[in-house]
Amino acid sequence: MLFSSITFLYYFLPAVLILYFISPKKLKNAVLLLSSLFFYAWGEPKYVVLMIVSILSGYVFGLLIEKSRENKSLRLTFCFVSVAISLSFLLYFKYADFFIENFGRVTGLPVTLLNIALPIGISFYTFQIISYTVDVYRGEPAQKNIISLGAYIAMFPQLIAGPIVRYSDVARQLGDRTLSFAKASYGIRRFMLGLSKKILIANQLGELCNIFRESDEKSVMFYWLYAVAFALHIYFDFSGYSDMAIGLGKIMGFDFLENFNYPFISKSVTEFWRRWHMSLGTWFRDYLYIPLGGNRVKTPRWIFNILVVWLATGFWHGAEWNFIVWGLMFAILLMAEKFFLKKILDKVKPLAHLYVAFVVLVSFVIFNANDMTMAISDLGGMFGAGGVPFVSAPFFYYLRDYALVLILAAVGSTPLLKTLMEKLCKKPVLSKVINVAEPVCLMVLLAVVTAYLVDGSFNPFLYFRF
Amino acid sequence: MSDKIRNIIMCISFSLAVGVLALLCLVLPKEEFNFMERREPKPMPKLTAESILNGSFMSNFEEYTTDNFPFRKEFRALKAGTSKYVFQKMDNNGVYMWDGYISSMEYPMDSDSLAYAGSRFSYINDKYLSEAKNVYFSLIPDKNAFMAEESGHLSMNYDDFADRMTEMVPFADYIDIYPLLSLEDYYKTDTHWRQESIADVAEHLLTSMGTSGDNSYTEEVLTEDFRGVYYGQYALPVPGEKIVCLSNEAIDSAVVYDDFQDKNEIPVYNVGLADSKDPYEVYLSGSLSYLKIKNPLQSNGRRLVVFRDSFTSSLAPLLLSGYEEVTVLDIRYQMPDVLCSKVNFTDADVLFIYSAQVLNNSETIK
Repeated sequence: MLFSSITFLYYFLPAVLILYFISPKKLKNAVLLLSSLFFYAWGEPKYVVLMIVSILSGYVFGLLIEKSRENKSLRLTFCFVSVAISLSFLLYFKYADFFIENFGRVTGLPVTLLNIALPIGISFYTFQIISYTVDVYRGEPAQKNIISLGAYIAMFPQLIAGPIVRYSDVARQLGDRTLSFAKASYGIRRFMLGLSKKILIANQLGELCNIFRESDEKSVMFYWLYAVAFALHIYFDFSGYSDMAIGLGKIMGFDFLENFNYPFISKSVTEFWRRWHMSLGTWFRDYLYIPLGGNRVKTPRWIFNILVVWLATGFWHGAEWNFIVWGLMFAILLMAEKFFLKKILDKVKPLAHLYVAFVVLVSFVIFNANDMTMAISDLGGMFGAGGVPFVSAPFFYYLRDYALVLILAAVGSTPLLKTLMEKLCKKPVLSKVINVAEPVCLMVLLAVVTAYLVDGSFNPFLYFRF
Repeated sequence: MSDKIRNIIMCISFSLAVGVLALLCLVLPKEEFNFMERREPKPMPKLTAESILNGSFMSNFEEYTTDNFPFRKEFRALKAGTSKYVFQKMDNNGVYMWDGYISSMEYPMDSDSLAYAGSRFSYINDKYLSEAKNVYFSLIPDKNAFMAEESGHLSMNYDDFADRMTEMVPFADYIDIYPLLSLEDYYKTDTHWRQESIADVAEHLLTSMGTSGDNSYTEEVLTEDFRGVYYGQYALPVPGEKIVCLSNEAIDSAVVYDDFQDKNEIPVYNVGLADSKDPYEVYLSGSLSYLKIKNPLQSNGRRLVVFRDSFTSSLAPLLLSGYEEVTVLDIRYQMPDVLCSKVNFTDADVLFIYSAQVLNNSETIK
């Protein structure tokens, strides 16, 4: 089920919130788990079984790891088996065809693809289960209540597109969390902000990307317009989803960590990845990079660690070579920044912003391609390869058509508005006006996003496929 | 207002807004037909084990909730207004208004589509038209051709379009009607041309095909509240407009059959359809696959067969005075072999006349 759908907003959400708030405290996790399984089954009626099996596996191995606390090798074995089971599901459902296809290419042998449909959100909940078992291995108490663990793994606000919630971050809240008007009010604001980002900005930019893809009259400038539109689209799509997830979590009493922090204002790729999809970055840092030795190793080993982490990051996003190239591109840039580039960028700030903008645009063009052939073709088009004209009529039309959406998106991707609002709120009179205006504005936004949903436009969340 | 009160107001207003609309979703009666969008809303899907397991229940339910949402018309207008006035978008769902006229942005030219249409016309020519007297082709430009340049929207180059299309039908003489048309000849809210504005087009076609007709008509207004197909897509409120029927002696005396046996008679103007979901269907009862119109007042021995789309529904009556018999064939709904095998093409004039929209989206042609 999509957050940005009439079914979610006017059927599922009111029903679940009523049930959740009227339930006694000890039943709230059960309501959350059952509603989350219903939410998942709505989009994946068959794969909900896989999710239940994954929850059971995580639960059993969590207990086994805790029971073998005194026996280090047994504890390690249980942790390893649990991680292997979780990863095997991910490998089979997400990567089997990639390996089969490439095996066929390398050996020249005829191969038959399995054509398995990717279970929605498997990359996210697999990482949450791994996070749980590794945290228990590291000393976190295992969750004795399977309902609570199920609620953590399947929790619908962040089930299918993150943020990846670490078990250690919500372990206490699973047993004891507070509900309040202050939290719910913040949650509503955050949810509405995310929904508006998704529907009013991301979807419109997604339409522009689709128009570009279908156009037979591409030009160099149209390629660049597409690159800008897609970078802003994916930011508003994904950060909008994270806002909605954090907001819904708040309404239900959970405090999820932030997932984005204005990544486009970064002055280096290193900074960009501290601000973009932060929950994934910290997951890889804590569960892969640091166990590999992190940066407290000799340079060759550190280079190896970086390459492994970014290969995995790229591959996590999709079973295609362009995702691997995308990940490795960031590995090389991060190493270059560490060795020499950062010193140059620190001296010339405008150059640093230009560099990040260029890298981001190029990287997302690679990211959004169906395969490496399309990625190379798109990158070539951006630089006039293949006799692509510099401009075309559709470029001028769609630049004008989407100009305001692009400007709003560009401004909205910086902290300008937030800073402005914070300054205004410090003035007592304006603060009162804002207090009155805010609920009114949010209701207007609710009406407008409902109007866009009713009109039925382009809607899927990009991160569903990961 | 303190933060505490603000938070309470926020929670109550959100709960009320979502709750009231959710309640209305459940209790409001559902429409059987959406006249604005000219379609039936998706019905509530049947709940079965199979429909749940294959996901069809969920996807159909999503469509059902959207199609039947309370105040759908008003919400669609809000979306269109936001898109136009807030985001300054130049079109809404590919449809735009300029100078009071609504049009879709037909762009770009689809060469494959033109080639396909040409191949179907060539098939008919090769198989059935060897005994025909003359074969003609004419192209009806869409409204966008007259609006786009000034409104700043994209449009096809109609010279290129006509050149490409005439290359596809080398067996037919091209009759150019583009110079006779202007934006005012089309309905403001519909894709079609106005019958009262195309008498000169009919006269030009008749002259080009070597005949002539009676071009003096009387007008009858059938409705003044016509809102065409673009109205539903545009979604913002627009005033209604007139549907006018032209009559002369030939039209008044005409006999129209919609069956191969010349048994089932229908009127030239089906006035009862003026209040239907598509009032443009008053002309020859809409896009029927086969029609034979006999003109008892004409005895020049000339017969005309027209391969057509919906634009010809209002044009065909105006061609009648130049012929004893006009046969109208629509190969979008019926296989050409089924229709052509029942028609006598010997010594008949044959006219292929299609709108640019149909030719540019010719997958509907069989």
